[in-house]
Amino acid sequence: MNSLSKQLWPWRILTVVILFLIAASLWAATKRIDYTWRWNRVPQYFAYNAETFEKIPFDGRVLIINRLGDTTSVELESESGEKLTLVVETPSLRVSEGEELFADDSIGSNSEWKAGPLTMGMLMTLWLSAVASFFGLIIGLVTGLCRVSKNPTLRSLSIFYVELIRGTPLLVQIFIFYFFLGTVLDIGRIVAGISALAIFAGAYVAEIIRAGIQSVPKGQTEAARSLGMSATQNMVHIVLPQALKRVLPPLAGQFISLIKDSSLVSVIAITDLTKSGREVITSTFATFEIWFTVALLYLLLTSVLSQLIAWVERRLAVSD
Amino acid sequence: MSDASSSILDLQQISQAYGSQLVVKDLSLTLEAGEIGCLLGASGCGKTTVLRTVAGFEPLLQGEIRIAGEIVSRPGEMLPPAKRRIGMVFQDYALFPHLSVFDNVAFGLRGTGRVELLRRTNEALELVGLYAEHKKYPHEISGGQQQRVALARAIAPRPALLLMDEPFSNLDVSLRERLSMEVRDILKENGTTSLFVTHNQHEAFAVADRIGVMAGGEILQWDSAHNLYHQPVSPQVAKFVGEGELIAGQISGRGELTTALGTLCGELNDARPVGSAVQLLVRPEDIVHDDESSLKAEVLRRSFRGASILYHLLLQNGDRVQALVPSHCDHQPGEKIGIQPDVRHLVTFPVYV
Repeated sequence: MNSLSKQLWPWRILTVVILFLIAASLWAATKRIDYTWRWNRVPQYFAYNAETFEKIPFDGRVLIINRLGDTTSVELESESGEKLTLVVETPSLRVSEGEELFADDSIGSNSEWKAGPLTMGMLMTLWLSAVASFFGLIIGLVTGLCRVSKNPTLRSLSIFYVELIRGTPLLVQIFIFYFFLGTVLDIGRIVAGISALAIFAGAYVAEIIRAGIQSVPKGQTEAARSLGMSATQNMVHIVLPQALKRVLPPLAGQFISLIKDSSLVSVIAITDLTKSGREVITSTFATFEIWFTVALLYLLLTSVLSQLIAWVERRLAVSD
Repeated sequence: MSDASSSILDLQQISQAYGSQLVVKDLSLTLEAGEIGCLLGASGCGKTTVLRTVAGFEPLLQGEIRIAGEIVSRPGEMLPPAKRRIGMVFQDYALFPHLSVFDNVAFGLRGTGRVELLRRTNEALELVGLYAEHKKYPHEISGGQQQRVALARAIAPRPALLLMDEPFSNLDVSLRERLSMEVRDILKENGTTSLFVTHNQHEAFAVADRIGVMAGGEILQWDSAHNLYHQPVSPQVAKFVGEGELIAGQISGRGELTTALGTLCGELNDARPVGSAVQLLVRPEDIVHDDESSLKAEVLRRSFRGASILYHLLLQNGDRVQALVPSHCDHQPGEKIGIQPDVRHLVTFPVYV
């Protein structure tokens, strides 16, 4: 163990050096094109402090100012004797007692933290992927079972579906779902996007499930059948529990792919992480920074998912 | 043929084919309640196919199979395995890896009440002596224990017939011998009618009441172990069961046979007239080593077996015999040693020219 780690450290250093060289050459390349990095513009697109001004709706005057620590309540009276109380943050207070004001003069402001477009986009991507994964898993499970069914029609239909989906690009499928099915069936872009992703993932999940079912030894089925189980009971109690455990790693890969593939729905104007990134770029011109940030956010989502699956796998590995 | 109503398993002239290849030919056998039967044969002789057909995993080409009087298979008709009231022990045990030992054994008892399920599962586990391991998973117990769990799982639902496919072949030799005797005791104690297949004659001898020696999809002889060994019906059975050689002989009188070993007297199973040429089965224990004897044979090969040595010997007329000799009599190939025949059962077969 000790000698092994001694042998490893030069290689680790080499790895770090190579990574450093790649980063340095990228940096040198950007130097050459005279790009101004503005990383400071990025954080505000995650969350920002939104300020709203409180305005007097009529001509009138300030009656009483009541300081309550961080906030201050301001009592206003109109020329016709109408009274109104507004609350603003104390440091932003702009008026004093007895001051005469015109309509729409601002008294002060209140501020509030809001999620920026990158955060909203990430949540949208997460939501799209989660819903599409859920339906993709169900579609895949049903199709996978049809694929190993004894019924020739079920088998042919599932093969047809899988081949159709695997043989065409996801981008084209999304367009068909949005422009054709969306129009014909009158469904919105979110439903169209999620359906396209779910049906796309379902085809791949089906193949994974089929392989999993077929990887369970035939003897298991024969043992269950000889113990008086029907074909369905055998599938539910013996084959599927073993198959699902085996297909967990490939399924995880499929769902990680789905998170990344979900970026394609930005073409039908769903404001996911990718589209949010594009929108932010139009207002900041910080093209490089934003795309790096977007990539990093996808990486965050996928690595959290793969850690989660690894944890589930370890839990299930107990009965191996 | 015995009365079909009292027999638990009844195979009537069954045939079975894979594609155009006939693997079981016109095979019949019956097992009475509580009997343990065995199909013994080399791999590819069709024994496993017979077992799988009885279990309902393979369709039948011809014939009829009854379990406890009910027809379960005939051409074009097959009762599913689940409805045959059978239990099966598989060669690789096929334990369910995701279920504990208890759940494995209880699996066939689903649908019986909770109390009954608990009672019968525990009973089966106690029978095989594995109650203490009931919480473990199959991968946490030894091969021998897995074998016994497989047995407990198969007999817990109290099947009319227990089928075992090479049940001991995955165990090491010493465990195999101990377990095969244990399994026989368990089956006898439980009164379970069973049919198992094996390629190992020691297993067959240790466990079965009746053994069918199979070759080429047919049963050559369906008999007790003793009769198979001492009264084989054909040279093929004689060669498959036990060791030994066939030597040339001629009937020289009532219960008298002239061979290269001299004139032998004993129970003769042959009614052919005096002067007929026959083949005589000589087992290794039929030849006694005796330095004083005038009858000499040349040692061709020897195989050391610890307590004894098996010598392959060449007689003067070119016939070969084997002799099982205590291992302190150490001779090398090429030496001539004195032997004495001690053949009690004169098992002869006709000579086909």
